[in-house]
Amino acid sequence: MSDVKTHSIDISAMQRSQQALRIEDETVCLSVNDLHLYYGEKEALKGVNMVIPEKKVTAFIGPSGCGKSTLLRCFNRMNDLVDGCRITGELNLRDENIYAKGTDVAELRRRVGMVFQKPNPFPKSIYENVAYGLRIQGINKKRLLDETVEWALRSAALWDEVKDRLNESALGMSGGQQQRLVIARTVAVKPEVLLLDEPASALDPISTLKIEELIHELKNEFTIAIVTHNMQQAARVSDYTAFMYMGDLVEFGDTNTLFTNPSKQQTEDYITGRYG
Amino acid sequence: MKMKKKSVSEWVKSGDPWVWLNAGAVAISVIMVVGLLLLIAVRGLGHFWPADVVETHYALPGESEYNLVAERVESVEVPAAQLREAGIAIPDQHQLMQRTLMKTGNRDVYGSDFRWVIDEYLTDTKRPEMLFTAERREWGNLYGYLKAVKEDGKIVSETTDLTPTDSAMATWNTFEKSIERAAVIFDEIHEIEKKDIGKINYALERIRLEQRRLELENKLTPAAAADLAAERGQYDEEYKGLQQSLIDLYAKINRDTFVVQVMDGSVHEMPVAKIVHAYRANAMGVPQKMGFYFTKLWEFLSDEPREANTEGGVFPAIFGTVMMVLLMTVLVTPFGVVAAVYLREYASQGWVTRIIRIAVNNLAGVPSIVYGVFGLGFFIYFLGSGIDQAFFPEALPSPTFGTGGLMWASITLALLTVPVVIVATEEGLSRIPRNVREGSLALGATKAETLWRVVLPMASPAIMTGVILAVARAAGEVAPLMLVGVVKLAPSLPLDGNYPYIHLDQKFMHLGFHIYDVGFQSPNVEAARPLVYATALLLVVVIALLNLSAVTIRNHLREKYKSLEM
Repeated sequence: MSDVKTHSIDISAMQRSQQALRIEDETVCLSVNDLHLYYGEKEALKGVNMVIPEKKVTAFIGPSGCGKSTLLRCFNRMNDLVDGCRITGELNLRDENIYAKGTDVAELRRRVGMVFQKPNPFPKSIYENVAYGLRIQGINKKRLLDETVEWALRSAALWDEVKDRLNESALGMSGGQQQRLVIARTVAVKPEVLLLDEPASALDPISTLKIEELIHELKNEFTIAIVTHNMQQAARVSDYTAFMYMGDLVEFGDTNTLFTNPSKQQTEDYITGRYG
Repeated sequence: MKMKKKSVSEWVKSGDPWVWLNAGAVAISVIMVVGLLLLIAVRGLGHFWPADVVETHYALPGESEYNLVAERVESVEVPAAQLREAGIAIPDQHQLMQRTLMKTGNRDVYGSDFRWVIDEYLTDTKRPEMLFTAERREWGNLYGYLKAVKEDGKIVSETTDLTPTDSAMATWNTFEKSIERAAVIFDEIHEIEKKDIGKINYALERIRLEQRRLELENKLTPAAAADLAAERGQYDEEYKGLQQSLIDLYAKINRDTFVVQVMDGSVHEMPVAKIVHAYRANAMGVPQKMGFYFTKLWEFLSDEPREANTEGGVFPAIFGTVMMVLLMTVLVTPFGVVAAVYLREYASQGWVTRIIRIAVNNLAGVPSIVYGVFGLGFFIYFLGSGIDQAFFPEALPSPTFGTGGLMWASITLALLTVPVVIVATEEGLSRIPRNVREGSLALGATKAETLWRVVLPMASPAIMTGVILAVARAAGEVAPLMLVGVVKLAPSLPLDGNYPYIHLDQKFMHLGFHIYDVGFQSPNVEAARPLVYATALLLVVVIALLNLSAVTIRNHLREKYKSLEM
């Protein structure tokens, strides 16, 4: 049984890329050095070391509770909102340590945008949802807003569906549309990095496909890190994959290699479905 | 066959008794509310219907017969024994007797408006068409037959007939025209007294205070004094002019008098100016009575009270109630929301926060009179006199804010209702999904921006729920108001054309207190009782309207910020 499953992943991964990528050739966007994270007494990340390459898609896979979402939420300091959360180690965006004292967290989050598991549009019009991040920055010029909103909605492959009802409430859209709206909203502030936390797990297969196509488009302009439960999805969309287990980064490398020829036994066990 | 045989325990198990019990409780509550509203509606609204006036002969056994002209008010059955004990010689065959309260009016002639009669001894009851009812500005209603109308003491029309003959009708028509004329003049007088003279008094008071202030600050130079004197002279002049026109108007309004024959046959002459309405209820058809009814109802809503609040309208009380509630809402909403935001969003959720929350909840249970005492002691005596000494020393020793007033009443009620708003807002804030907040934060918004742009708008329906509860509680509250600014009769509305337009220091009237005052403090309780019901109904309606507008706003907000499926 497990052989069959591995085989099917192999094919899709093969179709996508022919040649193994090498992390050493990439420009570094985010680098993580010996990152430990504690929720109170519990250590959720146990010394993670890795880099997120520029304008590539990096996927995080692993069983529930392995710390992949926690790691993702470190990149824009979303964990600051959790009471009793403590971090040691270093996390650099380009060359700045984002956990350095005096970091402007709001500015960091503008540069590192995030899309969540469940679509979370604001109870405002479609237009205002996309314009939200811009208005926060004090941009209120109608022309500039119009242009950016259109550009963002086009980037999220949503423009044609909503261009006639920009002033209607975003809550009237379907789940898949809402998630693409949230992506458009995040893209609108032109971040450097897009963090996607299981962006398709609450959606139907067709909407999922659209999101995956969108990720392919977006990686030309943004560095993308995606957490997913779905290994096929990781294989389809990502260039690099990190496998995490119990707060450890077990293996990190070219997606193709990781799925076809994992170097660690744990990785192989997970992708062949022996646990997880 | 088997289905029919159901034991009690099976019936209990089926859940039917539980359903019946619940439905019964709901039904009883609904019936009680509806019954309460019906009772006050019927009692209150019936008061404005022009009742027929009967003329009848009344003689208790062994006493001499006399003529009675009156409106029937209510009937009760009493045991004959009770009447015998009261000293009335009731024959032995009677067990129960019907006793009726008759409104005879003419308080200036007989000393009281009402008398109880026993229906058994009424004879020869008629409803003569020419019998009229006159509502007067003082002394209550007048019932009688019109005999003559005089101008400057000279008879212009008179009649001896007690039936609607030509001569009687001619006199009646003259009378009605005379009343109309007097009403127009009365309005003019009222206008001058209330508005023009009120304005001058206000200006003169301002000049007096200005002078006193300059005196206190040692800046009263002879030039300034002369200026003020000149200004005062100008107003005095204006006042004299108005006084002259008032004198003229009073002469005009007192030109006409009328002669009336009351039930004991005696004849009285009275000024027409004292009459508000005169009508012959027995000669009116139903449509006419309806028209009259709505006129009276409108008068009740839009007029000022007369005769120690037992007659006339309640407009100042409606105005005071609404104004105070609105002012309270404006004060309590931001205060409660800000407090709730701090408690829920910023304060760390430790034991201190928990104690504060418990304290807030308990505050909602403190008896309202305690808030009244606090308002009196802290706001009025402490803050108020402090404000007076700092800002209004020229008016001392008469207090400006150092006595009850609209502002202190509103603040006291705001304090009384702030726990409700805090609790409702906290509830609303806690229900905003975490992922929406995170969505805003992830876009680079700060916590404050997220609060203002996303969280508070989404919580606004819950905030409005709090405001609705606060309004409902505040509008019906009377006890604390009696200590902090409500009066039986306020000379002017707290909102008028004199700068600064809203007079926060002024005392005001309130429907709730009006009910208490009319019902229990009035010299003529019987006459005032229907007004108690009418005012109670009005209070309910005013509160319902205030709530309805808040509910409309809330529903609008709910529609706008439809909460996300969670």
